[in-house]
Amino acid sequence: MRRNRKRESLRLGSVARSLLVCGCIAVAGLTYVYQKNQIYRLGEEVKKHEATLLALDKRNAMLAAQLAQFKSPAYLEARCQQYHLGLAAPRDTQVIRLPEPGAEWDMKVPPMAATPVPAKKPAPKKVVARR
Amino acid sequence: MTLHRQQTRMLIVLCGVSLLFTAFAMRLVQLQVWRHEELAQLAANNRERTIHRQGRRGKILDARGNLLANSQSVRIVAADPSMTASNALATAQQLAPLLALDVPTLTAKLSSPGRYVRLKQKVDEDTAAKIRALKIKGLVLEDQFVRTYPNGALASHVIGFVNHEQTGVQGIEAAMENYLQGRAGYETIERDRKGREIRVLREEVLAPRDGCDVVLTVDQVIQHIAEVELDKAMAEHRPQAGVIIVSRPKTGEILAMASRPTFDLNDPGRFPADARRNRCISDVAEPGSTFKIVVCSGALNDGLVRLEDRFDCHNGEFLYAGRVLHDAHPYGILPVEAILYKSSNIGAAVIGIKMGAPTLYRYIQAFGFGRKTGIALPGEVSGIAHPLAKWTALSITRIPMGHEIAATPLQMIMALNAIANGGRLMRPLIVKRVVSPEGEPLLNFEPRQVGQPITPRASALMTAALRKVVTPEGTAPKAAVEHYDVAGKTGTAQKIENGQYVRKYYSSFIGYLPAADPELSILVSLDNPVGGAYYGGTVSGPVFSEVARKVAQYLGLPAQQPQSDSQLAKL
Repeated sequence: MRRNRKRESLRLGSVARSLLVCGCIAVAGLTYVYQKNQIYRLGEEVKKHEATLLALDKRNAMLAAQLAQFKSPAYLEARCQQYHLGLAAPRDTQVIRLPEPGAEWDMKVPPMAATPVPAKKPAPKKVVARR
Repeated sequence: MTLHRQQTRMLIVLCGVSLLFTAFAMRLVQLQVWRHEELAQLAANNRERTIHRQGRRGKILDARGNLLANSQSVRIVAADPSMTASNALATAQQLAPLLALDVPTLTAKLSSPGRYVRLKQKVDEDTAAKIRALKIKGLVLEDQFVRTYPNGALASHVIGFVNHEQTGVQGIEAAMENYLQGRAGYETIERDRKGREIRVLREEVLAPRDGCDVVLTVDQVIQHIAEVELDKAMAEHRPQAGVIIVSRPKTGEILAMASRPTFDLNDPGRFPADARRNRCISDVAEPGSTFKIVVCSGALNDGLVRLEDRFDCHNGEFLYAGRVLHDAHPYGILPVEAILYKSSNIGAAVIGIKMGAPTLYRYIQAFGFGRKTGIALPGEVSGIAHPLAKWTALSITRIPMGHEIAATPLQMIMALNAIANGGRLMRPLIVKRVVSPEGEPLLNFEPRQVGQPITPRASALMTAALRKVVTPEGTAPKAAVEHYDVAGKTGTAQKIENGQYVRKYYSSFIGYLPAADPELSILVSLDNPVGGAYYGGTVSGPVFSEVARKVAQYLGLPAQQPQSDSQLAKL
C-alpha cells in the first residue's frame, strides 16, 4: 500500500512541474548570461563607435582648419597669381554704374510698358528703273 | 602502547593541521580585515584607471562665420626607453621619416635612461596612425590640443594667442577666455587582463565640455584689404609703425583692425614683443589736426560759431601767451568751414579761445577722450586728457589743434563716428555673439550708445565742412573716392622725443562714406613716414582712398551722385 503511494508521488505531473521549474531557472540563467554577454558586446561596440566618433571629430577639426586656410583671401590671391588665372577685382574703369531711377526719373520718362511701340513701317521697295 | 602512540601522532597531526588552518585563518583575517582598505585600493589600482579629458577650446569666427582660430587634436609621441633601448636603432630608423627627425637623435632618445622620453610634440593624426600601425612596443601616443590660426598673421592683434597651457594671453583669446575655455572632464574605467577598457564597467563621472565659439564683428575680407593696403603703405613710406581701423559708424562695429609691425599667430614667440602690441588700442599719440573735429563740432553745437563765420588766421603767425603759433600755410580771414578743410591751426585755436577752456574740456570728455572706450580687448589705455586744473595758458590754443592731448587711434575713430552718426557716440563693438558648442546663441552684443556729444544738426554741419577736405581746395584731395561722397580730416602731428618736438610726424587721415548716410569709417595712421612726404593728406589720404574704394566695392555700397551742401544741411 505504502509502496503504491510512493509510486503515485513520482508521477509525471510533479516531475514535469519540477522539470519546468528547473527549465525556467535554466532559461533565466542562460538569458542572464546571454544578456551579460550582449551587454559586454554592445559595450565593446559603443567603445568602437566612440573611438570612431572621436577620430572623426578630430579629423573634422583638422579639415575645418584646412578649409579655412584654403578660403582665406591671402591664399586665394596667391593661388590666382600662381596659376595665372587672370582673376582680379574689377577696376573702376571696368564697372559701369547705372543710377537707380528715382521719382524724378519716373516723372520724366513714362514707364516702358505704357509707351506704345510704333509699328515699323515696311521699308519702301527700291525701284530700280530699268533702262 | 601502539594505540597510545597512534593517538599521540593523531593529536600532533591534528594540532599541526589546526595550527596551519589557524595561521591561514589569521592571514585571511589580516588580508581581509586589517589590510582590507590598502589591498582593495591596490586591486582597484590594477583594474581601474581615471582618465582626464580636456574639453576643446572654442572657435573664433569672423562676422561671416569664417574660421579665425580653432583647436586641433594632435599627439605627443613618447617612449619608455626601458622597453625601446634593446632595439633602439631599428626603431629609430622606422620612426625617423615619420617624425622628421634624424636617426642618431632618435636612437639617443630611445636608449636614454629613465622610463619616459618625449620624441616629438604636435604630431598630426595621420602620422600618429602610421606610427600606431608599426606596433612598436614601448611607444606612447598622448593626446594634446594645439591652437591653430588658419590665416596666419591676419588680424593677429585682434585675435591674440594662447600660451602652452592653452590659456589666452592676448586679444580676444584673453578677453573671452571664460567663454572659449573648455571644461575638463574625467572618467573612471576598468581594464581587462590585457589592459583594454571594459566599456560596460565605465563610471563616467564628469563629461568634458567644449568651449563656446566667439563670433567677431571683424570681416576677414575687409581685414585682408586693410592689411594689404597697410603693407603697401609700409613699403612705400617706410614708417616705424602703422594702423588702419575700419568701422561702421552707426553701430560702432569694428570691421577691421590692422596694426604693423605684426606677427604670425602660429608662432608668436618668434616675434619681438613690440610686434605683438595692438597699437590701435595701446599706443597713444597727439592726434594733431584730426582733433580739430572736436573743437569745431563743439563750437557749432553750442551755436558759438556758424560754418560761414569768419575768423582771422593772422597770416600764419599768432602770438598768444608769449608764444607764436604757426600755420603750415599762411591764411588771412577764413570761414569756419575753411578752417576745417584747410586745417588752420590758428583758426582752430581762435575757435578754442572763443569756446573757453571749460566748454572745450566738456567736449573733450563728451567725445570720450581721456577714458577707455570699453572695447572687449585687453590692453586698452585711456589716453591723456589733462584735467582743467592742469591746463596752462597755452593749452587753449594747443589742444584745439591736437597737441597737449593724447589719444589712441580707436578713440579718434569713435569720436569721428559720433560726428558721422548724428552725434551719437557708440561703444566700439568687436564681439558680435557667443555661441554654445551646440550652436545655440548664448550672448548677443548689441550696439550701445554711450553718449551724445553733439546734436544731429551740428553733426550735419560738420559733415558738410568735412566733405570739402577731399576736394582740391582741401588738404586731402587724394583721399577722395570716385563715385562716393567722402567726409574726412587730415592730421599731421609732430612727434615728441625726450620732451622735445622733433622733425618726425604721425600722418593720419580719418574719414567716412557715404557722407550723407555713412556706412563706413576708416582711420589710417602712419608713425614717422620717411622719404619726404609726411602730410596726412599726402601719405595717409591715398591709403584711405584705396581701402575705402575696395571695401565699398566688397560691401556693395551703391554708388552715388555727390550731394550739394543744401541737401546735406537738410539731413
